[in-house]
Amino acid sequence: MGEINLANSSGRDAVVATSSVTDEKVVRWLDDEGRQAGSSRLVKATLQHDLPQLLDEHGDASKLSQILVDGDPEIDLENTGRFLRETSRVYIGEDRNIVRNVRFCEVVKNADGTERERRPRHLADTNISSDTPLRWSGVFIPKDKAVRKFVFSGKVQIQHVNGLTYDFLFAMAKDLEERNSLMLLGAGPKSNQPLVLRRGGTPYRGFLEGRTEGEKYLLLLHFSNLELKVPTEMQEEAS
Amino acid sequence: MPRALVFQFGDSNLPIQMQKIDRTRLYGSKEVEALDAEDHLCELATLADDGRTLVGKGCTALGWLDADGKWRNKSELKPHNVDGDLVEPVPSSFDAPIKLFDTVPAEEYLAHNIRLMYRMCLEDVEGEGKQAFQDLVKQLQAGTIFSFPYSYRGGLEADAAFLLMNEEEHVMMVVGNRTQSSFVGIQSSATEVTQEDAGGSQEGDLMDFDMI
Repeated sequence: MGEINLANSSGRDAVVATSSVTDEKVVRWLDDEGRQAGSSRLVKATLQHDLPQLLDEHGDASKLSQILVDGDPEIDLENTGRFLRETSRVYIGEDRNIVRNVRFCEVVKNADGTERERRPRHLADTNISSDTPLRWSGVFIPKDKAVRKFVFSGKVQIQHVNGLTYDFLFAMAKDLEERNSLMLLGAGPKSNQPLVLRRGGTPYRGFLEGRTEGEKYLLLLHFSNLELKVPTEMQEEAS
Repeated sequence: MPRALVFQFGDSNLPIQMQKIDRTRLYGSKEVEALDAEDHLCELATLADDGRTLVGKGCTALGWLDADGKWRNKSELKPHNVDGDLVEPVPSSFDAPIKLFDTVPAEEYLAHNIRLMYRMCLEDVEGEGKQAFQDLVKQLQAGTIFSFPYSYRGGLEADAAFLLMNEEEHVMMVVGNRTQSSFVGIQSSATEVTQEDAGGSQEGDLMDFDMI
């Protein structure tokens, strides 16, 4: 369970809980006797026996094909078929050895695939549970309009952590229900920055939805990084 | 030409082409490159638990082992859900017409996490399907959201798909999964301690400092 620092329409803020609403469907694979089987990752080829290495060693592909027919240079008898457990992710350089001093660079590309910018990678910090609360933006979008405009790819449920925050969130949900709208929720002093759920994570626009049922409430924070629209070049193709 | 999904709307079958749309096509993309000290591009690899065996991209595979640790072919295994019931695989949505009858309100649509978006190309609909197509467009323009199960290849479970019209009046199909959320209420309410709860104790007992 995570937390979020949220302000209401009066500017009063509180740190409340967020919980996942993702429904994980668990499937178990059973054999004929009803016993559960499990999957394991194993080695097909090591770096010393994979295609780029064999091409380096034997020259062109046609020559390598004959060598593969004649023998088994791609098989590493010690490692092929071995189970992989407790592995680490490493980077390898041009010489196919581990590189220990790696720096990361972001390459930003336009929609047509051309490079727009190249810059050092910056990991944005989370901003939904910082000292600065997410302010009540007052920007409401009717639900019927929001579903035709944005693609909501994720959501979390916001819940109270004590009696005081129950009243705080219930009132918020009631307000949103009466408006039949989603409220745009942004970070930063002007509520115009995207929400970052975890350090280095995808930035999203947030949309708060509230419903009530008697004394109960449902407050959902929807995330979207995509509009429900057709790219210009696709429209031109069609026309 | 990609395969067309066929929708059964009323008595007519409407074949509709799909065009996938993702963030890259709308806004561009951002890639992360790993560089060494000489600015040469590095590749991601897997280091095995012995600390020396390196395995490159695409050089690993998944295998299935039974309770005795013996190799099993996936075809010998049967999928079961958490209740122990056999999961019946669903066919591909391209195998038969999809019945377009169920509609959902915006709240139900909002209960889903959407992960795929397609533009539905209706331009090629001709003949007797034209009237049905026009009726469908009218309903979509009125804000109707159609709901149906969808599976591209077929598999263990179908996803939830929706047909709706965007603000620019393009017919769109989105695919996602339902989430599980529920209304929450206060667990316990603060109550005043009554005389009965206090065991009929008198004010004098409550103010008895000797017992502290």
